[in-house]
Amino acid sequence: MSAFAFALRSLVRQPARALLGIAGVAAVGALLFDMLLLSNGLVISMERMLSTTGYDLRAAIGTAPPGRGPLIEHAGAIATRLRTLPEVARVTPLRLSDGLVVHTARPFAVRVMGAEPGSVGAWTVLEGRDVRASGEVLVNQHVLELLDARVGGPLELRTSAPGVRTVTPPFRVQIVGVADFPFESERGSTVGLSLEDVDRVSGGGGAQSADQLLIATAQGTTPAAAKAAVERAVPTLTAMTNAQVLVRLQEGGLSYFRQISFVLTTVTIGFAFLLVTVLLTVSVNQRTGEIAALRALGFSRRRAIADVFAEAVLIVGSGAVLALPVGLALSRLLDWILKGIPGIPASLHFFVFQPRALLIHGLLFAFTAVAAALYPMRLVATLPIAATLRREVVS
Amino acid sequence: MSVIEARDLTRVFPMPAGPVTAVRGVSLAVDPGDFVALCGPSGCGKSTLLHLLGVVDTPSSGTLTVDGEDVATLGDVARSRIRLRKIGFVFQRFFLLPMLTAAENIELPMAEAGVSKSERAHRVHELLEYVELSKRADHRPSQLSGGEMQRIAIARALANRPRLLLADEPTGELDQTTGQHIAELLDRVNADGTALVIVTHDAVFARRARRILTMRDGVLVSEERVR
Repeated sequence: MSAFAFALRSLVRQPARALLGIAGVAAVGALLFDMLLLSNGLVISMERMLSTTGYDLRAAIGTAPPGRGPLIEHAGAIATRLRTLPEVARVTPLRLSDGLVVHTARPFAVRVMGAEPGSVGAWTVLEGRDVRASGEVLVNQHVLELLDARVGGPLELRTSAPGVRTVTPPFRVQIVGVADFPFESERGSTVGLSLEDVDRVSGGGGAQSADQLLIATAQGTTPAAAKAAVERAVPTLTAMTNAQVLVRLQEGGLSYFRQISFVLTTVTIGFAFLLVTVLLTVSVNQRTGEIAALRALGFSRRRAIADVFAEAVLIVGSGAVLALPVGLALSRLLDWILKGIPGIPASLHFFVFQPRALLIHGLLFAFTAVAAALYPMRLVATLPIAATLRREVVS
Repeated sequence: MSVIEARDLTRVFPMPAGPVTAVRGVSLAVDPGDFVALCGPSGCGKSTLLHLLGVVDTPSSGTLTVDGEDVATLGDVARSRIRLRKIGFVFQRFFLLPMLTAAENIELPMAEAGVSKSERAHRVHELLEYVELSKRADHRPSQLSGGEMQRIAIARALANRPRLLLADEPTGELDQTTGQHIAELLDRVNADGTALVIVTHDAVFARRARRILTMRDGVLVSEERVR
């Protein structure tokens, strides 16, 4: 009978202990798996979001996040100039602002997005048509529902600078369509206008200003080469590739998730280690007589150790496998809860499955099984046969 | 050649209050087919001597040979191999594995010795018949009586056809009638050629042996040839 078959029988013999151990490892494993999904989930999700827009570069003045740095004045002219570069395929100036929709019931805040009419990737028109000129607006489905309006109806916008009570008159536009906006939150309200109209809503005179320029690299060119070309052509611009944006995010806010994930991973692995060590140690201590008898019958020390190790592998292995579906289900729930935070884009996920997480999960549990079995294996290895048999008889 | 030969065996246990000598200068030889009963009061060193003879304990001094091989210098693997193939052990408390059936308990030492599956199955069948428990093959130890458990333990000890069977108070946990059945079974084992060394408090059981060795304070004080 192999060590694994033997260990399996031992577990079946004490089903309560076995189930307790496996359930404990599964619970801890589910948390561990979620921490692994969380450690890189936001970065991967953000990477997917950035790549779905179809642009490789983001150019702005300075390195401040969009909407927080200085505006790119004459963004339309700069975009036209950049489009002539052989390394560049497409350029879309983009401006983000906050606004208030004046509504008979109650004004409500919206995210205002400005782009050149006909820009690719700024938004996706779902109903009606794209913005073609000043005075036209695209709204998302949620805004349409809040307004209880239809395509073709009017909309009044007003600037909404944080902490500033505005007295500027509302800006009146016509809804020409319903659109899906990138980086939109689950129940977020977004409207899309021309760059000039965003400037007007923000209290300006209708300048073609933008926060950033989205740039798509021409075929056969690398984003790095396009970045260099853009910065050469317009030295006031700083371009960042998607990869650089991700690195910046990782160095910034996302690093907290990594740190939390690392700490919780370490704690959960520690719990799994202690749980399995305690279970195996108790099991070995309960069976010292049997183990000594088997050794007296000719079972080698190596074989006795292998039995304990096999038991550790079975408990940890079963728990780790069970942890995967539990962890995935738990990650869905946690993702749903976290996405309820205001302003989180609907397509952003905190927990993202990746094969690497599965591999690390497996490796960590393999390590745990070995580490947890070390002490009980040592107990078996150093078990004095004669003294144990004598003690068993006396007891 | 003797199955086992001990010369001047001594076993000292280090204790907090000072070393205790459990076995002191014991010499004895067990020949093939021999039947030796080790008797004496509790704590006189019978079990310790049995453990030394069974290669589960190491003497503090003296030599021990099994089939002419000096076991004092052997490592754990070699000592385990000797116990597995040449010596059978029967314990007072049976020590059957509760998660295995009677047949599986008997099969276990053979599996460890690398005996083929078909050969194991044949031998298990043979041994179950030998101890008259064929009908209990698939029963777990918890479903067996004390006497049945000891018979299965004897079958397990005989699985690898050892030349020597050591038994430590094999009837100690059994009532008189059941104990007598076990004694008869061990008689039969001995009659079939296996040398026996038995530790017992039971004087009647001891009279079944060819030689009765009496120990006191770790020393062999007398040897009586019974038959």
